[in-house]
Amino acid sequence: MGVRRRTGLFILQVNPILCDGFGHCAELAPELVEIDEWGYPIIRSEPVSLGDTDVYQSARYAERGCPRRALRIQRLNEK
Amino acid sequence: MIALTTPYLWYTARATGLVALVLFTVVVSLGTFVANRIGGTIVGRFELNELHRSLSIVAMIFLVIHILTTVLDSYVSTGFISAVIPMTSQYKRLDVALGAIAFDLILAVWISSLLKLHIANRSWRFIHWFSWIAFATAVVHGFLTGTDARSGIGLVVVIACAAVGVAAAIWRFLGRPTRASGRTALSPLAAASPAPRAPGERAFPSAARPSRKATR
Repeated sequence: MGVRRRTGLFILQVNPILCDGFGHCAELAPELVEIDEWGYPIIRSEPVSLGDTDVYQSARYAERGCPRRALRIQRLNEK
Repeated sequence: MIALTTPYLWYTARATGLVALVLFTVVVSLGTFVANRIGGTIVGRFELNELHRSLSIVAMIFLVIHILTTVLDSYVSTGFISAVIPMTSQYKRLDVALGAIAFDLILAVWISSLLKLHIANRSWRFIHWFSWIAFATAVVHGFLTGTDARSGIGLVVVIACAAVGVAAAIWRFLGRPTRASGRTALSPLAAASPAPRAPGERAFPSAARPSRKATR
């Protein structure tokens, strides 16, 4: 319930120190994450609209599903 | 202390104990699957991880029923305190103490996993190692305390759980991978990859990256 703000942008950020290349993020959020040759994620760098609910949901799954908790959804202030 | 005289509490305690042991064996094995980077072809790695989490909740429910029925049942005299504090049970003091230790460790692992987003990853990981001790303790507890664990199917189940647990521990120790193990078949680049590799094959020999073993 309640009004959900669908405006604004987000990016998915990886903490490269915590990341151990489990590869779960690429399975959970293929729209945002590609895996490089060594198994580490390459995350789409351009911000995505929060209104893009499918992508945002994938990002949340990836954030929750990371075995090392190396992923964070970073919201950007809308200008 | 509430004491109920129906025998079904006692039967439930025995049955749920055995089922909880089997479930925790599966949970520990699935955790080893995740840690050793199994999956990515037929079944996704994240799916094994989700199964590990979901089954751990089911196992916890069975464990709670096991403890509640044991405590409430009047056939043997234990108390709520002896479910968490070792050596306080009148019935099979040492054997029940092992169960209490296992329960405490499992609680620590469970609570730290619930708080995983809010605590440091290193703390969570350190606490998660306790699940091995908890599992070993639980197997011994099941064998010593279990009324059904000394003969027949019960004994077979306990031995099988112990064997699976030992195998998982050896596999976890020997099979721990280098830091990353390449693309999984489910990852989007895998199909477009110029030189497709077998799922288990590494892109580079482990010397190309610092080994996990060096950093731990």
